[in-house]
Amino acid sequence: MGAWRHFPILMITVPLLGAVLLPFLGYLRESWVPHVALLPLGFSTVLGFLLLGRIPSDGYLSYHLGGWEPPHGIEIRVDYVGLFLMLAICGITLLALVFSRHYISKEVSRGRRTAYFVLFLLMSGAMLGFAATGDIFNLFVFMEILALSSYALVAITGNRNAVRAAFKYVLMGAPSSIMVLLAIGFLYSATGSLNMADLAQRIAESGYTEVLTVSYILFVIGFGVKAALFPLHMWLPDAHSIAPSPISALLSGLLVEVSAFALLRITFSVFPRGAADLIGGTADAVGVAAAAAVLYGGIMAILQKDLKMMIAYSTISHIGYIFLGLTAFTAEGLTGAVYHMLDHGLAKACLFLCAGNFIYVKGYRRIEELKGAWRQMPWTCFAFALASISVIGIPPTAGFISKWYLILGNVRGEKWLYACVLLIGSILAAVYCFRVIYYMFFQAGREGAWEDSWNDAPPSMLTPVWMLSLGTLFFGIFSYLVIPSLLKAAAFLL
Amino acid sequence: MRLLHNYHYVAAMVLFCIGLYTVIVRRNIVKKLIGLNIMETSVFFFFISLGYLDGGMAPIRVGKADPSRMVNPLPQALILTGIVVAVSVTALALSLVILLYRQYGTLDVDRLMREEEQSETAEREERG
Amino acid sequence: MKRTVSLLFIAALAALLLYVVANMPPMGDPANPTATHVIPRYLENAEEETHTENVITGIILNYRGYDTMGEVTVIFCALAAVLAVLGRERRGAIEGFVDRSEVVSSTIVRTMVRFMVPFILLFSLYTIFHGESSPGGGFQGGAIIGGSMIVFTTIFGLAESSRRVPQRIRAALEGAAVMGFFLVGALGLLGGGEFLTYAWPKVAPGLQPSLVVWLTILVEVGIGLGGAMVLTSILFAMIREEEIATAS
Repeated sequence: MGAWRHFPILMITVPLLGAVLLPFLGYLRESWVPHVALLPLGFSTVLGFLLLGRIPSDGYLSYHLGGWEPPHGIEIRVDYVGLFLMLAICGITLLALVFSRHYISKEVSRGRRTAYFVLFLLMSGAMLGFAATGDIFNLFVFMEILALSSYALVAITGNRNAVRAAFKYVLMGAPSSIMVLLAIGFLYSATGSLNMADLAQRIAESGYTEVLTVSYILFVIGFGVKAALFPLHMWLPDAHSIAPSPISALLSGLLVEVSAFALLRITFSVFPRGAADLIGGTADAVGVAAAAAVLYGGIMAILQKDLKMMIAYSTISHIGYIFLGLTAFTAEGLTGAVYHMLDHGLAKACLFLCAGNFIYVKGYRRIEELKGAWRQMPWTCFAFALASISVIGIPPTAGFISKWYLILGNVRGEKWLYACVLLIGSILAAVYCFRVIYYMFFQAGREGAWEDSWNDAPPSMLTPVWMLSLGTLFFGIFSYLVIPSLLKAAAFLL
Repeated sequence: MRLLHNYHYVAAMVLFCIGLYTVIVRRNIVKKLIGLNIMETSVFFFFISLGYLDGGMAPIRVGKADPSRMVNPLPQALILTGIVVAVSVTALALSLVILLYRQYGTLDVDRLMREEEQSETAEREERG
Repeated sequence: MKRTVSLLFIAALAALLLYVVANMPPMGDPANPTATHVIPRYLENAEEETHTENVITGIILNYRGYDTMGEVTVIFCALAAVLAVLGRERRGAIEGFVDRSEVVSSTIVRTMVRFMVPFILLFSLYTIFHGESSPGGGFQGGAIIGGSMIVFTTIFGLAESSRRVPQRIRAALEGAAVMGFFLVGALGLLGGGEFLTYAWPKVAPGLQPSLVVWLTILVEVGIGLGGAMVLTSILFAMIREEEIATAS
């Protein structure tokens, strides 16, 4: 073990430290803040890539904070799936941060810009910590940092609708956090431990089955709200469509995924395979809710008139995909779910940033206003089309690979109905995506709606968009680099 | 019988449900926040009760204190974190309330939502 | 209709929770999983291992120091969130507002507040520094400082109290708690231990007890200072916003 075992903790804490130092910089030189904020995230990304290849797909890196071995101290446990997610978090947050610099000058007033970047860094650090932790109370702490920063970032523009959407989000998010805390309390009372690996052992021996079952139910409700699982999704469309676009990209592309990942950790690392009788019923209910989410999100997305609203409903549908992968309880399903977290993150972040480009250049939010958009903004439109193809799941994009494994997993788990639902979901996605693409490329817009010459967003906004959309293509073509290891890691988790 | 013995837990759960009721049903947003705080406090109470020991003493090692008779210190340490989290959420929610009241002039949830519909129809008329 | 549905939902939840409580381990029993699993080591060895008499402080700062680092990040995040929602004043612009935070008060009140605030601050220092052997600690001390600022601001007004604690100092020290934790963590890492090790096994094995105590105090002071500054800034942001509303 070399010095690299310290990398995960540095990846988590350096963005937090950066966030803490920014207010003073903002006091001295506000114009430097957007540039300096890139440094800690870039540092984390570099460390993340250096870790690549050092963590085996059937093992994990266990780091004992303060040198106290678990269960007495807190453990950071990075397995292959966790590292995969941490890299996705680093990459997408970094691109969204690059995008923010210009965009923010339009939507956020001057006294709030420093706070925006502070919260942005806190959110990224918290997501990394959330994905890496091996202690269940620590999970709660990072979840709270994540929740607080996301509530505030939704409201940061300060206009009427944003504040109301944020308040709605708080009113659903805060009780769900408390439910998670209560669930941790139940778990602790029945086992006396807070470490995930230790919990898994003690749950198998524990006699308090009722307490454990209800604890799992509370976890599902709590994280279900955070991940916007179907009947608990009410906060999502408003919050995601009203937030500034880079924040929508993070909320939609990462935050809901990370919450789903937390439930994955609870389901597979805390409640081990032997405890299937404890959580089986609840997991079945989650499967039903997820299938409903796929259909509901797809249909609602078709009905929307506002572009960001449509993308937000599409997110609800895709969260359903991820949960269907989890509840299949097969290695293929799990692989599909984790891969879908990545490609949905890339594609959704790209779509929201494209929507941001339209708002930045023209101030257009409604889908109808996009008719003929390609004449003025070809780069944005092509990136949007590429990301849409990944959302639908057409080869050779990453969306195809993940949907393939999701369906395969559900077929292996003999859940034929869910496999059909996944296919129908793709058809719905095709309907709502192609409508926008059709408007953009094949319809003439209103007179004077678009200029005839190329006048796209500035390069600092186009580069992130294109890197994200090419990312979906890259992970579609070169999926063989990742998928075998992911399959192995998933089999190790099960 | 176990229910009677665990009366602390029962009280915590009843408080939890009262808090949730307040959050969901009350129309005044400040009262909703109070309900949120009741929920949080009930969970803190639940955790502290988990650490209770019959005839226990404070976990401070002074003199010849007997470690086996001390109450469980871990829930207390966790709840310190929990309290800070609750304070933070309340601070954020209150600042949102300040802004909401300034922009809408009301603290009533139903009226806030009605304003939403009105502003939407106004927008539509503006565009159409 | 909505009311009935929510009542039904809450009733179902209550029944579920009470059912769990009826099946939980009996309260206060020394044979419970909570009392037998992780705890004995804390209670028996905390004094030797963390060099604090108060076991709770030992857990907060040392065994589970990472959680506390998250906790101080949460409170810092609350400040950033409040500033994001309400906006921060431009540099030195706080005097520009109409100051209505001041409550009309008699000479007796003003004299008493002026007299009491230093003692409150002294008490908060005691709470911070004595936290390792008695109930208390950094955050509690910081909250007391924040409380004294609330009293001072309501009596003497925002302009006066923001002259005492200017934005320059607040902006620099708001993150003192996280910085303190990161400093201790990085030092432990450089000293050959893991992140947040309160001793440097490779560098100074002989210095261990006093080193641990000093680093603990460093962290406590960081938490106290950071907490106080965060609470003060939140207070100023909220009071100032009300002024704009009443002034315009």
